[in-house]
Amino acid sequence: MSLAPNYGPDQGTWRCGRCQLPLEQIKVPVFYLNSAFDVFLPRCPQCGLSLVPKSLAEGKMREVEALLEDK
Amino acid sequence: MILRRTQSLCPVCLRRLDATYVYDNQNVALRKTCPDHGSFVVPVWRDAKVQGSAIPAFKIWTRPKSPSYPALPHTEVREGCPFDCGLCPEHGQHTCTGLVEVTLRCDMACPVCYAGAGGMNAPRDPSIADILARLDALQRTSGRCNLQLSGGEPTVREDLPAIIGLSRQHGFGLIQLNTNGLRLAREEGYAETLAQAGLDSVYLQWDGVSDESFRALRGQPCLEFKHHAVEACTRAGLGVVLVATVVRGINERELGDLLRLALRFGPSVRGLHVQPAAFFGRYPWRLAEAPRLTMPDIMAALTNQAPELVRSDHFHPPACEHELCSFSAVYRRTSMDGTPGMEPLGQPAPCCPSVTATAPPPAAEGARAARQFTALHWKGTGKEPALAASLGADSFTRFLAQAGARQRFTLSCMAFQDALSLDVARVRGCCIHVARSDGRLIPFCLHNLTSGDGIRLYGIDT
Repeated sequence: MSLAPNYGPDQGTWRCGRCQLPLEQIKVPVFYLNSAFDVFLPRCPQCGLSLVPKSLAEGKMREVEALLEDK
Repeated sequence: MILRRTQSLCPVCLRRLDATYVYDNQNVALRKTCPDHGSFVVPVWRDAKVQGSAIPAFKIWTRPKSPSYPALPHTEVREGCPFDCGLCPEHGQHTCTGLVEVTLRCDMACPVCYAGAGGMNAPRDPSIADILARLDALQRTSGRCNLQLSGGEPTVREDLPAIIGLSRQHGFGLIQLNTNGLRLAREEGYAETLAQAGLDSVYLQWDGVSDESFRALRGQPCLEFKHHAVEACTRAGLGVVLVATVVRGINERELGDLLRLALRFGPSVRGLHVQPAAFFGRYPWRLAEAPRLTMPDIMAALTNQAPELVRSDHFHPPACEHELCSFSAVYRRTSMDGTPGMEPLGQPAPCCPSVTATAPPPAAEGARAARQFTALHWKGTGKEPALAASLGADSFTRFLAQAGARQRFTLSCMAFQDALSLDVARVRGCCIHVARSDGRLIPFCLHNLTSGDGIRLYGIDT
């Protein structure tokens, strides 16, 4: 079993607008400042479109960005 | 043509004088006249020539702030700035970095020394109780600001690890040591001892890439032991900032190579900080004839000497201190294998009045951002887990924090004020405060400021 963190949708079920397939929790490489890290995100199994849940974007990711803000 | 009005000091008698910023040929200069000692003009901003993008003009180099007064002023306003420090109720900025001078002894005696330290008549070191009182006063007034242990040369004290430990207990954001690096280089295990005591970062005086520059400014060749000092800090997990005092005609042509050297050291060297020399304390020139560099001179030197790394439009004025006191830029290292490479990060902060047409943000907000920025970026690269832990972290947060901080490199410059260049508006916006034995906090430049004859504005702290 992978130890990569798993971030599901905040609520509801999501479907890819292009492929009409339900999103699945799939391992996604996240790139930040040229470094990569694997996390599980809701992703279209066909085209790879990924959803970053609002809670993740506005929570953890924003917090780290804010901590590293330029002076 | 008068560009701005302020007040300054007579560099002879240190009385307060009205002063104006005016165009002087292609330069902006600060001009003032003492009824007893005549007129004085000092260059502040030069229309420097650079490759690529132009140096920002004086008029657009602004970053307005609404003053943030001290919650707990220590003195009253009696004679007015700069005579009532401090902090007095009219001081307009909170503390970003507090300085505690733990000794005025030094194991070098550099021809250029802001503190005039290392002479035969250095006062006795402050006791641990005295240092504790200064830390308490700093914490009371300035909360969890960053702390720099300074001097003199702090490493001449055998109890420095204990002082670092006490400082850590006060909860300061970043604990940094201002040092010449001699002891770090020569004593096996010393860097580890300081790191274990709670030190985060070393503010390592490093003026250039040739021993000629070190001989001129430090009286001896230093390159070899400075390299050893960085290596020792790297092994101990301490962040290092190289700090260059730059004097026209001595070492300003080495800035590009110094930047490349800083990058070659790898991520333990967190940044290069450039200080165009101010003339107080000890220096081998007459004040009026001292070889001055302005901030645009430093911008131009970096841009012209390292065009593959730096452009002048990377630089922005500070959110924390007054805009004429510093500039900085933050980069991401593009190579982690020792070849010098970096690219600018983020959006340049607005330095144009049209962009900042709304009410200026509170100065304290800039101080908060600068404290946090400095604490994160100047720490050693082994400290990200602490950051992640502070966020209640999982592995993804640790990754974000590490990728964010580890690869970053800061390039910054701070122009101190001496008796010729002092501007009370800059002093009121100062965020670097020296904690004195009597509980006062005094802006760094005023604490060190001397007249042309070496008379101190504020007496030596004993």
